[in-house]
Amino acid sequence: MADPFVLGRPTPRVEGVEKVTGAARYAGDVKLPGMLHGALLHSSRPYARLVSVDTSAARDLPGVRAVITGEDVGQHLYGRRIKDMPVLARGFVRYAGERIAAVAADSEDIARRAVDLIEVEYEDLEPVFDIEEALTDGAPLLHPNHGDYPGARAQETPSNAYMWSVNDRGDLDAGFAEADLVIEHTYRTERVHQAYLEPHIALVSLEGGRVHVWTTTKAPQSIRDALAFTVDVPREDIVLHHSHIGGDFGGKGTPLNLPIAYFLAQAAGAPVRLAADYIQELMAGNPRHATLTTLRTGVKRDGTITAHHARFRVNCGAYAAYKPNGVIGGAQRAAGPYRIPNTRIESIQVYTNTVPGGHMRAPGSPQAVFALESHLDEVARELGLDPLEFRERNLVREGDETAWGDRLEHLKAHETLDAAIDTSRYRASASEGRGRKVGRGIAVGDHGSGGGIGNAEVRLHPGGAVTLGTPIFDQGSGTYTTLQQVVAEELHVPTSRITLEIWDTDETDDDSGIGGSRATRVNTRTAHEAALEARAALVRLVAERLDVAEDTIALEGDEVRIEGDGGRVERWPELLSRWEETAVGRARVEDREAIRLTGFVAQVAEVAVDEETGEIEVLGITTAHDVGRVLNPIGHQGQINGGVVQGLGYALMEHLGVEDGRVTTLSFGDYKIPSTADLPPLRTALVEGEEGIGPYRIKGIGETPNVPVAAAIANAVEDAVGVRIRDLPITAEKVYRALQAQREREGQA
Amino acid sequence: MRLTVNGQSTEVDAPANRLLVDLLRDDLGLTGTKEACSVGVCGACTVLLDGAPVASCLMLAAQVEGREVTTIEGLASTERLHPLQEAFIEHGGFQCGICTPGQVVAAKALLDSNPAPTAEDVREWMTGNLCRCTGYYQIIEAIMAAAGSPDA
Repeated sequence: MADPFVLGRPTPRVEGVEKVTGAARYAGDVKLPGMLHGALLHSSRPYARLVSVDTSAARDLPGVRAVITGEDVGQHLYGRRIKDMPVLARGFVRYAGERIAAVAADSEDIARRAVDLIEVEYEDLEPVFDIEEALTDGAPLLHPNHGDYPGARAQETPSNAYMWSVNDRGDLDAGFAEADLVIEHTYRTERVHQAYLEPHIALVSLEGGRVHVWTTTKAPQSIRDALAFTVDVPREDIVLHHSHIGGDFGGKGTPLNLPIAYFLAQAAGAPVRLAADYIQELMAGNPRHATLTTLRTGVKRDGTITAHHARFRVNCGAYAAYKPNGVIGGAQRAAGPYRIPNTRIESIQVYTNTVPGGHMRAPGSPQAVFALESHLDEVARELGLDPLEFRERNLVREGDETAWGDRLEHLKAHETLDAAIDTSRYRASASEGRGRKVGRGIAVGDHGSGGGIGNAEVRLHPGGAVTLGTPIFDQGSGTYTTLQQVVAEELHVPTSRITLEIWDTDETDDDSGIGGSRATRVNTRTAHEAALEARAALVRLVAERLDVAEDTIALEGDEVRIEGDGGRVERWPELLSRWEETAVGRARVEDREAIRLTGFVAQVAEVAVDEETGEIEVLGITTAHDVGRVLNPIGHQGQINGGVVQGLGYALMEHLGVEDGRVTTLSFGDYKIPSTADLPPLRTALVEGEEGIGPYRIKGIGETPNVPVAAAIANAVEDAVGVRIRDLPITAEKVYRALQAQREREGQA
Repeated sequence: MRLTVNGQSTEVDAPANRLLVDLLRDDLGLTGTKEACSVGVCGACTVLLDGAPVASCLMLAAQVEGREVTTIEGLASTERLHPLQEAFIEHGGFQCGICTPGQVVAAKALLDSNPAPTAEDVREWMTGNLCRCTGYYQIIEAIMAAAGSPDA
């Protein structure tokens, strides 16, 4: 790629005009003839036996076409991996918000009124909300027969900890014995919602013996398979149609209400649209998990880490169903990209009577990195070392294993940290005044790109038009534009000549879709191969029609040069018109191997803390990324900006409040996400390089920007006023209380 | 009832308590206006009512009788996009696009009343339009760029 044609250049979105004019069609904009509207009854109790669900009054309401309960649906279980969730509750409800019954009616108003007429008799059971309580002997067992669920592993002893993995390296006891100092802290993170602005929608039509689906999902093939399992229909009888997705951040890999919409459509004999509202989203979505992380670290006086024990406990809520892998990863991030010879990393997944969690942007990492990067600052302070110097001493260098045991290549941890420091005000002299103190904190992290299967087709048409067929349902991060750039690059045609053809799920049999930073890795490679295949098909066609050898044909943009033959030059758009032919290249790429490349992130936060009120103002954030080559600077920076601001919300304001098992923040009025009023000055530093993945040497950028923000801010707060906040979000109230406690301690001393 | 939508006088048969957002989306088929939070906090459903931005999820049909509503569909002419729409595309002022109609409409109201805003003016004006994708920086850039355009 000596002189890139379009890759690396700012490229506006292929779907831009549609989106800025309101023409882009989202699932909520789809209407079908005879379509009914659904509504759901959710449990008001966190844990109860369902004694009875009386739907008779609801059924009698004029305009109601179907009412279903768990008893009507029967024993159909749902789950991305572990199938532990009934479509509608049967026998028990295990969280406040669990879906109990559903109505389909002529209008949404009627459906909601019918839901209000359903009477549920509960027999309350003793619930358990807290991770530690759920792990105690004698705690109520939410799923005593967990091992019987499809996709679950058998349990030796029934426990709410349905998965408990331990990863050991070296000799932990010897490592602690060798240490001059052993420091232990526990960090807590709360649930937060992905806060995509488009609530989940499922529209199902059973027509012509097939199941037609329009829904808000970025993983259509996997959702098709999960639905097929749950409703017991062959997967080839289900088709998911494309619509744009109004934000995802991990939360749209789970279809939430899709199986219910299917059963409603079946019961009503008509298409049913089941649209969540934001109350339902916040009460019973699939939020980022709350965690409790205990870290115990042994260090030498000189700052060398000798041992590290991480216990990463995840509050999974009442079901594992929404987790694509059954568990929330991230535990290894609680040990991080550091050289530590002796480690034990425990990952503990725990059922409680709370809303089940799902994936959110770098699942598990923001929680684990908040814990680790806060803790390492505390360790450095105990040692009297500068937090930067302490990290520099321990961050992996080429040839090192990470604390998890990964041996990665082309490690740019130090370059990335240097870039963050150099671009930020980390070394500026501290300033204070008017009761406010300024502090600075750093935090680092890393994230690789996941693998999967990709499909694409490139067609060269008479006249020069190019179509790019893709099964991807872009959730908004810009994959379509990247793929269009790739095809433009390989064919040397302008992006404006390439139109997109988005497939429904019938067009491919297997495709991993979007998730885990896989889109750029897998799908740029796929589009690249499809474009090369299309070129090869064109060459074969030209050779055949002009009766020349394939190796005498050279393509340069639209030109087809034929060696010999007096240096004949043709143009393929005209040749294809003349022959009425199309050149087609199709690619299916299976790219699943774990790769030995990661992408580092290092951030510096600068804050001013009001010593009277605890109020925090973020004066600036610097974010540095190890990026390989950037394909589209507009989209790349957009991922960074959006990720950092999500991280800011996680750090300072977002908290899906739960009291007695019930979510209390039920609107965007109570559940605060950042607005334009909350933006700090943002500086970005990119560490570019030739070591990246695939033909274009890329690294994923979607996940890392949101990961270290909370720890960087927690560290900056301690740097400013000397108090340590170990639970998110870092609110003024918590800082105020910590400052008061600090004053009391100083007063006593 | 009668109202003017995107410059066209329109007759629509809807109960007085129909929400404006539903009137636009369901009765008039103008699905460019989106509904997200349903409580007037997020700005996704922003439309202009006699030129002023309002949350269409909080307005009733009865409140708009005889008045003039402008939605995202009313911004571009048949030949060209509104400068704000051009700028949102060029500067990456959207990703998933679900909040974009509301953002663009709200920004239009700003530029109509303040054709040369400062970045601070833009930030202050746009606080009622949430976006989870962009982190807002490129939205602000886009609005500032459009404000510099002679056609805005």
